[in-house]
Amino acid sequence: MPLTVQIPFTRYLDDQGQPQGDLPGWVDDPPLLLQLYRQMNLVRLFDQKCVALQRTGQIGTYASTLGQEAVGTALGRAMTDADVLIPYYRDTATQLQRGVQMQDILLYWGGDERGSAWSAPAAVEDFPICVPIATQACHACGVAAAFRIRQQPRVAVTTCGDGATSKGDFLESLNLAGVWQLPVVFVVNNNQWAISVPRCLQSAAPTLAHKALAAGIPGEQVDGNDVLAVYDRVRTAIERARAGKGPTLIECVTYRLGDHTTSDDASRYRSAEELSEAWKREPLGRLQRFLHQQGLWDEAQEQRLHRELGEQINAAVEAFRALAEPESSAPFDHLYQQLPAGYAPQRDQWLERAGRLAGGEHG
Amino acid sequence: MAEQNTLCMVEAINLALHRAMTDDPDVVVLGEDVGPNGGVFRATLGLHERFGFRRVMDTPLAETLITGIAVGMAAQGLRPVAEIQFMGFIYPGMEQLVSHASRLRSRTRGRLSCPMVIRTPHGAGIHAPEHHGESTEAMLAHVPGLRVVIPSSPRRAYGLLLAAIADPDPVIFLEPSRLYRSVRQPVADDGQPLPLDTCFTLREGSDLTLVSWGAALKETLEAAARLAEEGIDCEVIDVATLKPLDAETVLASVSKTGRCVVVHEAARSYGPGAEIAALVQEQLFHALQAPVQRVTGFDCVIPYARQEMAYLPDVESICRAALRTLEQAS
Amino acid sequence: MKQFRLPDLGEGLQEAEIIEWHVQPGDTVEVDQLLVSVETAKAIVEVPSPRAGVVSRCFGAPGDLLHVGSPLVEFEGPAEDSGTVVGSLGQAAGHSDLAADDFIIGAAPSSRAARAVRAAPRARQLAERLGVALDTLQGSGTDGLITEEDVQRAAAGPDGGEAVRSVRRSMARNMARAHAEVVPVTLVEDADLHLWPSGQRDPMVRLARAIARACLAEPALNVAFDGVRMSLVRHQQVDLGVAVDTPDGLFVPVLRDVANRDAEDLRAGLDRLRADVLNRSIPPRELMGATITLSNYGTLFGRYASPVVVPPQVAIVGAGVIRDQVVAVDGQPVVHRILPLSLTVDHRAVTGGEAARFLKALVTDLQLAE
Repeated sequence: MPLTVQIPFTRYLDDQGQPQGDLPGWVDDPPLLLQLYRQMNLVRLFDQKCVALQRTGQIGTYASTLGQEAVGTALGRAMTDADVLIPYYRDTATQLQRGVQMQDILLYWGGDERGSAWSAPAAVEDFPICVPIATQACHACGVAAAFRIRQQPRVAVTTCGDGATSKGDFLESLNLAGVWQLPVVFVVNNNQWAISVPRCLQSAAPTLAHKALAAGIPGEQVDGNDVLAVYDRVRTAIERARAGKGPTLIECVTYRLGDHTTSDDASRYRSAEELSEAWKREPLGRLQRFLHQQGLWDEAQEQRLHRELGEQINAAVEAFRALAEPESSAPFDHLYQQLPAGYAPQRDQWLERAGRLAGGEHG
Repeated sequence: MAEQNTLCMVEAINLALHRAMTDDPDVVVLGEDVGPNGGVFRATLGLHERFGFRRVMDTPLAETLITGIAVGMAAQGLRPVAEIQFMGFIYPGMEQLVSHASRLRSRTRGRLSCPMVIRTPHGAGIHAPEHHGESTEAMLAHVPGLRVVIPSSPRRAYGLLLAAIADPDPVIFLEPSRLYRSVRQPVADDGQPLPLDTCFTLREGSDLTLVSWGAALKETLEAAARLAEEGIDCEVIDVATLKPLDAETVLASVSKTGRCVVVHEAARSYGPGAEIAALVQEQLFHALQAPVQRVTGFDCVIPYARQEMAYLPDVESICRAALRTLEQAS
Repeated sequence: MKQFRLPDLGEGLQEAEIIEWHVQPGDTVEVDQLLVSVETAKAIVEVPSPRAGVVSRCFGAPGDLLHVGSPLVEFEGPAEDSGTVVGSLGQAAGHSDLAADDFIIGAAPSSRAARAVRAAPRARQLAERLGVALDTLQGSGTDGLITEEDVQRAAAGPDGGEAVRSVRRSMARNMARAHAEVVPVTLVEDADLHLWPSGQRDPMVRLARAIARACLAEPALNVAFDGVRMSLVRHQQVDLGVAVDTPDGLFVPVLRDVANRDAEDLRAGLDRLRADVLNRSIPPRELMGATITLSNYGTLFGRYASPVVVPPQVAIVGAGVIRDQVVAVDGQPVVHRILPLSLTVDHRAVTGGEAARFLKALVTDLQLAE
């Protein structure tokens, strides 16, 4: 039985940055456009720095956002301070847009829990990075349910990759969001690859947005490399949810220009030709061309931007390096709100052993 | 003066839920069939009528989801009490418990936390089909950051559930289904929680210490009575909170008696009895007059209803273990 | 059940037509009472009630077709709630178990107050063997741990010296107890053996017989006395405890029923007992139940003694070394063989008169030629 349902697809700028048809009215907002552009550049440069830091052993495994800067930047900007983000692990752009500091991100990937203990006001209730695939979708439904129960005009926004849409947690969450009409927006970063498994092996659904149909909720696709389209559709979905009109699934169609993580080597399973083709569609170039056309950007500003961003990033890296060691007793101090008395001996042993390691002894 | 009714355990649980939801608007109940049906064991009877769907939610059939949304709700400061219909069906939710509920506080260094309760009937002996008789509390007790609580009387179920709901960290509240309706006793609706992380001494004695929890306490207390007829004076301890364990109470008792028998329905190997035995011998080796005994479920798959009672520790086995500790000749 | 559904009528029949109702709403019915007649493809079937109760509703009218499993009759009363969706829950029986929940939060007071006696398992074993009470010891190990050395030292006593074991230990205990309970009185006299056949040196068999005859003459010395209950048991026979000195210590095997055994039998019995004691093969049974005891230290040395009465016995006879002594016979000095005798009795149970009469009978029998 052929699936004849049409899933809406939104794109405002083509690969070259040319407008396709009329642009929505809000686009006439140079400060907004420039912020989006600056932020995407920050994400790309910072992302490169993170990969470099991993390669030089200063942080651990890192999941790059190369090529997907538009998705996180746009959706982060579309959320308000009152909304809550429940991310997966490829959300550097979203987190930065929400006010999480670069050094927090470096701490997280550097293996330090303080990286999730940020105090950025907009992000103070945001969930930390989630590794077990798609489990965050259930959390998002819980957060949204809390908003409904308390009748608060707030929205939960959750992200995941194309692979996650195969998991039970994801499908169960869509289903619940639909039947309870929860104020939640599911943003799928379909970057075509789940590590080495291509999209065509992940699902027979014509689009991942089709999965919304089974849950009885609206589903749509956007060109994930068009920051204007992502911003427009996510903001619309968020406001719909805020108005009590229920959840939406938005599939951002983009491409993972980098490896899955710094431990992966994508050249093992995809061709150089495919990669270079995908580069032609990447998001920063097309917005830059559009801004040039609008007379909002030039080469000098570009140079200045890169210099500024470079300085910001270096300052963040220095701040990260200068940070003191984590509190030794933290694993026990945050095990429960109050550590039961019976744990005192273990806590002492832990401090002693951690102290020995800090002092350079082994074993 | 708090109203006092004579209640069985499931009624006491119901009373505690009514009390908690009345006193704290952040307490919500969710699960399969918890609404108009009142829960398949009637534990949530009357809640939906009183508090409506906003706070008493029937969920779709999805245990991963139920556990996961409880995490999200709790992170927002609600106090969700999620029912998993039987412990045999908690496994899809294990990932959410192990990977998230138990770690959210630690992972965010206290920025977020997870004050949720999972309630589930557990244990064999109600002649139900396969999977409805699980006692796998050891799996949960092994996870750092979780609390595992098991009541053994209506009055204590009331107090412990109130404490679990008020606790700022995740609690798995395992309800022995075999005890749901087996005993009635006065339970005052006084809103008073009992302390978590604390054992209860049910019988003071000087010859040996019997340690147990949940439904197995029924047989343990019967064994103590039978041994008393032979002049053997047993102390009986209800562990109540399996994790974190109140080692102090157990050790004080065995320090006095020098003899310890642990009784649990869960399978023997890698069961909670092994932890208690290890703790006792580690701390009280020189005070022991005999090795610590364990009377447990078997290391076989729990049989179907026809044979399930043979699986459980019985009064005879407990008495024999007790006598073994007394016979141990130097 | 609240609703009774049309049951399976057999033979794969799935439907039935209502012919006639025998009851109507409001009727009280009994088990098996006929409710309705229905017609299947094959026959007219009467459907009985599965329970007693009051009918509240009848489903269908004559001529209606009902499917197997569809409601037929509803009874009055609340829907019974099984309280479960699988299995069955044991219900509290009536008004039993209504006692209030009884529990202590945390440890019992006696547990809180307890201080464990800490001793290594090997030390415990040793203490058990040596009869040392652990709770009287101060442990010299870490945190007051009682060690094997501590136990050894306690067993040996405060000034060092070797620990007293088994037999000597028993002796120490028994003598102390006897001393604590018995009120001893000792009477001595000599038996003149000049009429005994020459060459007879071993008085054991004669002593045994003499004691038996003295018990006959004065049974008050062959009793078991209980000083706590203030009761005594008169023995039917004389079971003579015979003190035997060995390198390991003092043993007192029992020669049974000496009054009814001849000399040869007594001799054989004595020899056997002595042999068993010396090679430590005597069963504990043979060391128990003496009604009166003889201590023949005359095989060693000494004249008179005040041997110890061991409860529940009330008398013990001591025999010293037989010696030649000058005695007066018809005013003239002569040398006779003399056997010195000592009798100790427990004055709680035996009077001076009874003791004297017993001793006289004993001496008289011993002085006989045979």
